[in-house]
Amino acid sequence: MIMMVRKAGSLQTRLFLVFFLSLAILPLIYDSRSLYILCTQIFIFAIFAMSYDLLLGYTGIVSFGHGMFFGIGAYSVAIFMKNFGATTGNFLFGILVAVVIAAIISYAIGMLSLRLKSHFYAMLTLAVSQLLFVVAEKWRSLTAGGDGFTFSVPDFIRDRFSFYYVCLLAMIVLFFVLRHFVQSPLGKVLKAIGQNEQRAEALGYQIINYKVIVSVVAGVIAAISGGLYAGMLRFVNTTVFSIEITLDALLMTMIGGIGTLFGSILGSGVVEIAHDGLTSLAKVHPIFERWIIFMGLLYIVVVLIFPSGITGSFNNWLEQRKKVRMQQKEIQMEEAGKKAG
Amino acid sequence: MDVIINLLVNGLATGMLIFLLAAGLTLIFGLMSVLNFAHGGLFAWGAFGGVWIFGLTGSFLLSMAGAIVIGMLIGLILERFLIRPVYGDHIQQLLVTLGGMLVLSELLKVFWSPNPIPAAVPSYLQGSFDFGGIILIKYRLFVILVGVLIYIALHLLLTKTRLGLIVRAGVIDKEMVQALGINIKQVFTFVFLLGAGMAALGGSLLAPYSGVIFAEMGMQYAILAFIVVIIGGMGSVPGSAVAALLVGVLGSFMAYFVPELSLAVNMLLMLFVLLVKPSGLFGAKG
Repeated sequence: MIMMVRKAGSLQTRLFLVFFLSLAILPLIYDSRSLYILCTQIFIFAIFAMSYDLLLGYTGIVSFGHGMFFGIGAYSVAIFMKNFGATTGNFLFGILVAVVIAAIISYAIGMLSLRLKSHFYAMLTLAVSQLLFVVAEKWRSLTAGGDGFTFSVPDFIRDRFSFYYVCLLAMIVLFFVLRHFVQSPLGKVLKAIGQNEQRAEALGYQIINYKVIVSVVAGVIAAISGGLYAGMLRFVNTTVFSIEITLDALLMTMIGGIGTLFGSILGSGVVEIAHDGLTSLAKVHPIFERWIIFMGLLYIVVVLIFPSGITGSFNNWLEQRKKVRMQQKEIQMEEAGKKAG
Repeated sequence: MDVIINLLVNGLATGMLIFLLAAGLTLIFGLMSVLNFAHGGLFAWGAFGGVWIFGLTGSFLLSMAGAIVIGMLIGLILERFLIRPVYGDHIQQLLVTLGGMLVLSELLKVFWSPNPIPAAVPSYLQGSFDFGGIILIKYRLFVILVGVLIYIALHLLLTKTRLGLIVRAGVIDKEMVQALGINIKQVFTFVFLLGAGMAALGGSLLAPYSGVIFAEMGMQYAILAFIVVIIGGMGSVPGSAVAALLVGVLGSFMAYFVPELSLAVNMLLMLFVLLVKPSGLFGAKG
């Protein structure tokens, strides 16, 4: 049994490697600036969605303000680049500062609300993220308010081709790091909490500690993705704190499939490509400018009918098929046995 | 002195509007354990629907009634098709009602426009009263009056009628109510529609009050209502009334004296309540 699991694991890892390798070859065979930009955005949001998946998919925590960590990352990088010069060191330092701030805020929110029922965390994150939105709007000397500001970036970020690889690499590394995280004993406890909190508590786990840990990890990863996002745009304004950013993460993880990490990458691809496609249809009919409606309806359908998303549904289908085959085999063997008897 | 009275009236009027939103939220939560994130959408639809009907007919009473009808219709759809299928699963409920909110506020932008729309005050509520130097704006007093009437009506409904008795009993122990042979699902639907109607009424009252309406205001006020529900205690109508007035009055005073802190004060109040008494000032449920 253990051998089988290990084998399946390595097969999965190989499939992931093939997938990532083809993404790495893509810009070499298809040279298009708009494709680079679209893919870079997909990678960045995939990182963000993976961090959300840790909360929602693995531990069953609902956050409606996860975008605030994304915004913290974006603003931190932007402010460092603008005020201290466009060097790689400042870029990394900006991300580091964002990581520290995100860790502090997520720790505080977690300690306050994760003791209570799930909706408290959802409400508190929503409220804090709105507060940060207002702060970004009002603290004009630092953030230039809703108008935002542009800034220059080092060459490796400026160049679409090289930044494609930076983001791809970041996504791959974080994917494997997070996969290791959720497969570790700590990750197993998180899953247990997600499936049955009372049971996990009865087994002697101090639930609150695990929940706070995952909330901090998710906040930190989201801050990194926000920093990359600011680097890509070379511009930041208050929209990075808007509720739409959180909704993006929610859509991506739900559509791709919660609790799989890889689903977040798929979901990010689906949502970003759909966004791109639907907004370009706006010339056909103005309703496509409101592409969020289609995404919202799709999201509702997913929540109600396919709560396990693309990857989850695919896995279920595979398992179902396996079961049916096993049964058929058993029936055949029984029949063969009868004939022989 | 007149400044203080004016600020108090402003705060009470805003508090009443938040109360209309929060009362439904807290009742729905208390009875069904559903945290309805689409509630702000109903509020915004009430505002847009009210302004639209006011523009068509010119009658403010009709526009309020119309807003309530619109809110209840949307509430009926939400309850039937979004909340009922996932009843009992908290995470799915949170997720699906947020999806409802998303679609509702985007639909507003499709039907009207993404740009803010001006809203007029009906002629007989324009202007102000002058009480010996203290000038009070008529419309604000009107909002307070409506809020008080709704609170009294809600209070009577909950304490004097059989239905209210069932609702209150359901908040305390819904299994027991069900065991007594009462179809609790029908009561859920009723309470949800009641909450939806109040939210839409709140929206239609807000429109002339703020003078301009936009799709995102649903979320803005919903956040205030969430804060109020946490402070007042989930499931408690008097709690949300007190908390709404507190938030409204504090907000209006802070906006005048220390504008930088006006939003932070609500947050700090909520954090304080979460730290000291997570079940809220009047709440029984934690």
